[in-house]
Amino acid sequence: MISRQTSLSKNIVQFCRFLRLKGFTVAIDEEALSLQALQLIDYSSNKTFLLALKAILCRSEAHLNEFNNLFEEYWKELEKATDAKEKKETNQRPIPPQQATAFKSLKAWLHGNKNSETEETATYSPQESLSQRDFSLVPEDELEELMQNIKALAKRLAAKTNRRHETTHTMKEPDLRKTLRKNLRRGGELLEIIHQRPKRNRVKLILLCDVSKSMELYSSFLLQFMYAFQQVYARMETFIFSTTIRRITPFLKKQNFREAMQLLGGENSGLSGGTKIGESLHTFLEEYGKLIDKKTIVIILSDGWDTGNITKMEKSMESIHRKAKRIIWLNPLAGYATYRPETAGMLAAMPFISVFAAGHNAESLKRLGKWL
Amino acid sequence: MTELNDIKNLLQVHGYITEDNVAMSVFLSLELNKPLLVEGPAGVGKTEIAKVMAHALKTDLIRLQCYEGLDTTHAIYEWNYQRQLLHLKMVEHNGQPVEEKEKTIFNDSFLMKRPLLQAITYHKRPVLLIDEIDRSDEEFESFLLEVLSDWQVTVPEIGTIKATHIPLVILTGNRTRELSEALRRRCLYLYIDYPGFEKEWMIVKNKVPGIDSKLAEQITHFMQQLRVIKLEKTPGIAETIDWAMALSALHIDHLDKNIIEQTLGVVIKDWRDTRQVQLSLSELMEKTGVYSRL
Repeated sequence: MISRQTSLSKNIVQFCRFLRLKGFTVAIDEEALSLQALQLIDYSSNKTFLLALKAILCRSEAHLNEFNNLFEEYWKELEKATDAKEKKETNQRPIPPQQATAFKSLKAWLHGNKNSETEETATYSPQESLSQRDFSLVPEDELEELMQNIKALAKRLAAKTNRRHETTHTMKEPDLRKTLRKNLRRGGELLEIIHQRPKRNRVKLILLCDVSKSMELYSSFLLQFMYAFQQVYARMETFIFSTTIRRITPFLKKQNFREAMQLLGGENSGLSGGTKIGESLHTFLEEYGKLIDKKTIVIILSDGWDTGNITKMEKSMESIHRKAKRIIWLNPLAGYATYRPETAGMLAAMPFISVFAAGHNAESLKRLGKWL
Repeated sequence: MTELNDIKNLLQVHGYITEDNVAMSVFLSLELNKPLLVEGPAGVGKTEIAKVMAHALKTDLIRLQCYEGLDTTHAIYEWNYQRQLLHLKMVEHNGQPVEEKEKTIFNDSFLMKRPLLQAITYHKRPVLLIDEIDRSDEEFESFLLEVLSDWQVTVPEIGTIKATHIPLVILTGNRTRELSEALRRRCLYLYIDYPGFEKEWMIVKNKVPGIDSKLAEQITHFMQQLRVIKLEKTPGIAETIDWAMALSALHIDHLDKNIIEQTLGVVIKDWRDTRQVQLSLSELMEKTGVYSRL
């Protein structure tokens, strides 16, 4: 990859290619700009040279953080390649493999293992009001209040209006621009008035719900949550996952909750087994990836205990993050004051999550409305 | 041609103390006619760059504040309907054919220029500040692309309006939403983080000239420590300067526990943070090297 180039401009072009391999989006435009910049600066100073290239070639904070190392790596390799030139004309030098990512996931794994046995158990105190209490302990008869909360949340979400306007046939506020354009043909007499109304929000929701063994405590809440949401909010798709992923939207659209649950019960025989979040998300992306667009909020309900492939998890999360408007991760464990997202899965997912919150009681659900 | 060092000096002279990377980005943005996208936490002086540059280049600052739902009629142009209607009334009986009338009302005098159009048709090279771009929605980002890469605006009724001068464009963002790759590709990127001790100290002394040297040092130390604690809203340089000004106006020459508690509201703007800081105040003061006089 890094071979000796005779002129500075050639080297810059090659450096751009090197950056592209490292995940930078460097196109011909940027190469041209870099060369243009060389005419403006004093490139005999190493520092100025680096700063100029950095300003032009980086596109994000992550790029900026990486750039200095990559710059050094490239020019150091280049020097070596230059020395070797005496022996061989076209010297292809392999770049030392990046060990950082491997190390990171190893560290995460160690962290996760250390904590995997110390799960805090839920505590119950009778004085607590429903809104403070954990869902794992909600008795049947209080589920009603919970349902109300979810419904209110979903309704607000559905009714949220945009600041833009769209044309409507009912009498609302007049749209001056369109009215004028339309009536100009008749010499400007306003005969027909066009109306507009605030545009409805077109937010799409995708709910991914973990139904593995570790989430069993929260199962009744989860089912209620999914059902209530799907009932009130039309632009929504619901999936459940444990070791694999399954779309359950049609079941939740059934009129009767019991009927829906029966159908689901047959479909998903029990909440059980380990969690393979990475694999599940990967399958989700492959099969339903097209569902996600920039107006989609992806809500993941899981405790983040993952027995599957962490790199896969990281990759899938990154891909969802790129496609979706926002990722919200609701973790029932996050309700405990001592909880830290230190499981391997959670650590890998963290950088891509916009909102990480507890999803364990009515209070936390109310707060969810703020982020939607 | 401006030189890199000129820019750094210009920024410095106009009270913007900064590192080489900022100067380089501004310099290249000016020389290569590329918009500059500045990201970073709140209150580190992103917007200030635009203001200072307008000052330094002796030109005007045109500002577009972004918000959700911002659209072309507020950012680029809008027709003055009332005037158009009045005009039509006036020429109602002069026997002009409708097409003629239509032509007369779609010209410059009925066009209301909003910041973006204003910036590219300005009589000299202005600084255009597009503030908090991440608050606008994706649709608006797409509108911006034409302006920022071709330096032109298309008005269907008139045609394409080309820039008379290419403005120095500075976009700022808080990263409340990821910006599209298309927009990023049209910009140079700059990330400004919280300053280190030396830089912040210099900024304080520069912005609050009458301040006691020891007080400035204590304030800076305290702020540096404050940013280490995990707060809901980490205070930026803007807060440091406010605080320094406040204490300086009160003729205080050193920090102590009472003073900090009484003036904490200048720095901390969230009640949970206030409580947290109050609880760990002694510890904070110890780390800062500030002791209460007992």
